[in-house]
Amino acid sequence: MGGQRLRGRAGIRDPVKKGERGGISPVAEGKIVDALLRFTRAIDSMNEKFGVIATWLVLLACLLSAGNAAVRYGINEFLVLGQDFAFLHALTTGIGWYGNNANAFLEAQWYMFTGMVLLGGPYTLKVNEHVRVDLFYGMVSDRTRIWIDLIGTILFLLPICIILIYFTWPWFLESWRIDEQSSNAGGLVRWPVKLLLPVGFALMALQGVSELIKRCAALGGRYRLEYTYEKPLQ
Amino acid sequence: MIQFVRDNMAPLMFAGLVVFMLIGYPAAFSLAAVGLFFAFFGIQYGLIGSDFLGNLTYQLYGIISNDLLLAIPFFTFMGAILERCGLAEDLLDSIGQLFGPVRGGLSYAVIFVGAILGAITGTVAASVIAMGVISVPVMMKYGYSTRHTMGVIAASGTITQLIPPSLVLVVLADQLGRSVGDMYAGAIGPSIIQVALFCAWVAIVSLLWPKEVPALPLEARTLSGWPLFKKSMRGIIPSLGLIFLVLGTIFMGLATPTEAGAMGAVGSLALAAFNRTLTGPLVYQGMATTMRITAMVVYILIGARTFSLVFQGVGGKVWIETMLTSLPGGTVGFLVFVNIFVFVIAFFLDFFEIAFIIIPLLAPAADKLGIDLIWFGVLICANIQTSFMHPPFGFALFYLRSIAPPSVKTSDIYWGAIPWVFLQVILVVILIFWPQSVTYWIEQTKTVNPNTIKIDIPELDTPLPPLDFGEPPARK
Repeated sequence: MGGQRLRGRAGIRDPVKKGERGGISPVAEGKIVDALLRFTRAIDSMNEKFGVIATWLVLLACLLSAGNAAVRYGINEFLVLGQDFAFLHALTTGIGWYGNNANAFLEAQWYMFTGMVLLGGPYTLKVNEHVRVDLFYGMVSDRTRIWIDLIGTILFLLPICIILIYFTWPWFLESWRIDEQSSNAGGLVRWPVKLLLPVGFALMALQGVSELIKRCAALGGRYRLEYTYEKPLQ
Repeated sequence: MIQFVRDNMAPLMFAGLVVFMLIGYPAAFSLAAVGLFFAFFGIQYGLIGSDFLGNLTYQLYGIISNDLLLAIPFFTFMGAILERCGLAEDLLDSIGQLFGPVRGGLSYAVIFVGAILGAITGTVAASVIAMGVISVPVMMKYGYSTRHTMGVIAASGTITQLIPPSLVLVVLADQLGRSVGDMYAGAIGPSIIQVALFCAWVAIVSLLWPKEVPALPLEARTLSGWPLFKKSMRGIIPSLGLIFLVLGTIFMGLATPTEAGAMGAVGSLALAAFNRTLTGPLVYQGMATTMRITAMVVYILIGARTFSLVFQGVGGKVWIETMLTSLPGGTVGFLVFVNIFVFVIAFFLDFFEIAFIIIPLLAPAADKLGIDLIWFGVLICANIQTSFMHPPFGFALFYLRSIAPPSVKTSDIYWGAIPWVFLQVILVVILIFWPQSVTYWIEQTKTVNPNTIKIDIPELDTPLPPLDFGEPPARK
C-alpha cells in the first residue's frame, strides 16, 4: 500500500540540552526515555506478530469460505457418483464427515474474521491507518498532530478499551465457566471467540500506551515517528 | 441549565459527534468516545439506566458474528489481487483498439472497462489504479486533453461503487436490513443509466470540442482482425468467468454474497496464476492491505454502534425521526434534503463512516415515510459515489494523483473531475424522480413471490387418536 511512508529509524536522538528541564538530570531522563522506548518496541513487535496472524487469517478465511460454498453445492453430485463408482467411496465418507461438521466450518469463518479484526486492529493503529476526519488534522503542523494524538489516546482510546474490557471479560468468564457450545448442531465452542474480544481490546490499549510514549518522546525530540497519516485506500 | 441539557440531550450529542470527529483523532475511537461521554451524562441525569452500557457486549457479538461483514475482507482481497494481475491491461489494450478509430474512442474504452471491472470487483481503488496506470500515458500520448483524461478515469473507476457486486451495496443492505440480492438487482438499472450518461458526455465532448478527444491515428492501431479478436477474448473470457462466479452465483441463489466474494477472490488468484503474475509478495501484500482495511472498518463499526446505542438511549432516534418526517414536501422533500445532506457530508466522511453513522439515523424515517428501502439504498449509493470524486478530498482523485505523471497538475485533476460530478448528480436526480429504474430489475429477478405461495396440507384420512395421558399419579 502506498509504499511512500517515511521510514525513519526508531530511537534517533538529538543531543540533550542541559538545564532545560529542572529536577531530573538530562542523563537520568535519557535513561528513563530509553527504558520506555524499549517497552514500546516490545509492544510493537508483539502486535506486529499478531498482525501477521491476522494477515494470514484473511487468506485462510477466504479459502475456507470458498471451499464451504463449493462443497455444499457439489455435494449431491458426488454422492450420486459415489453410488456407482467404488473408488469414490472414500470421497463420500469424507463428505459425510464434512456434513457432520459443516456448522463448525461455517462458524470458523467468522471466528477468523473476529481474529482478523481484533488481532489486526492494534497493528493497524501502529501503522497509523485508522481513518480520520482530516479536515482540521490535514491543515495543522506536525506538532499539533502529535498533541491531537496524545489527547485522543488519553481521553478516547484508553477509556474505551478499558470499558470494553470491563464489559467483555466477565462475559468470556461466564462462557468459559458453563463451557458454552454453539447453538448450531456440531458447531464450535464459544469461549475462544469471546476471549478474543477482551484480549483484542487489551492489545489495543497496550498499543495506545506505546503510541503515547512514542509521541511524548517525539515532542521532546528524542524519537522520530515512523508513520505519517495517509488516507487508507479502499 | 441542567434542565436544558436533559431536554436537549440528543441534539447536544449530535453536536458532540461533530466536534469529536473534527478533532481528527481516528474516527472509530472518537465515535465510541462520544457514546461513552454522553452515556455518562445520560446516567447522571437518569435518562438511561446505569446498566445500559451492558448492551454493548451484545452489539459487539452481533458485529463479529455477522456473516455479511465477512464480504468486506473478501471483496477487498479480490480487488487487491485483480489490481495487479494484468486483467485490466488486457481489457484496455484490446477494447481501446476496438474503439480507437472513433473520436473519444479511448474514453469509451475506459468507461466500458471500468464497468466490466466494476462487475467483477467491489472496490474503487483497484479500478482507478489499474486503469490509470495503463490509460493515462496512452491517452496523453495521443493528444487527449489532460483534464478530460483525468476526469474520465476517475469517474469510470468509481462506477464500481454502483455496479454489483459492490461492497458499498453489501454494507448498505446490512445497515438497511434488506437482502443483498435485491440490492444488487436494484442497482442494475442505475448502473446502465450511469454508463449511458458517461458515454453521452463523451459523445458531447467529441462533438463540441473534438480536439480534446482525437481518434487514434492509424499507426497506433497495431492490431486488427484475428489477432485483435484473440486479444479481446483473452481479456473478456476470464472477466465473464469471474462475473459469473461472483454475480451469477448470487443471482441464482447458489451462494451468499460472502461466499461469492470468497470464490471471486480465489478466482482472481487463479486468474493471476494463469497470467503468470501470481507471486508470494503480491498475495501477501494483498492480504496485509485487506487485513488493515478490515480492522479499520470494523473498528469504525464498533465505534458507530457504541454511539448509536447511547444516541438511541437518550432519545436521538425519535428526535431525528420527527425532524425528518416533518420536512416540507413529503417524500420528495425528504429525499432531496437527505441527498443534499449526504452529498455535503461526503466531503468530510468516507463511505464507511456514512454507512455506519448516518444511514442508521435516516433509515427509520425513510421507512416511516413509506419509501422503499432498496430504492433508498441505491439512491444513497449513487450519491456517495460522488464523494469519491469531489475535489479536493475525493479518494479517486488521490489515487489518480499518486499514479499520474508529475507533469499533470493537481488542478487539472480537480477541474477534470467536475463535469463528471455533475453527471453523477444528474443520475441521482433521475433516480429520485424515476424509482422504476431501480424497482424494475428487482421484480424481474424475483421469480417466486412469497405471497402467492400456497401450501396445501392434505387432510388426514384417519382422525388422530384422542390423547390419553391416563390418571395423574397419586400424590404421596
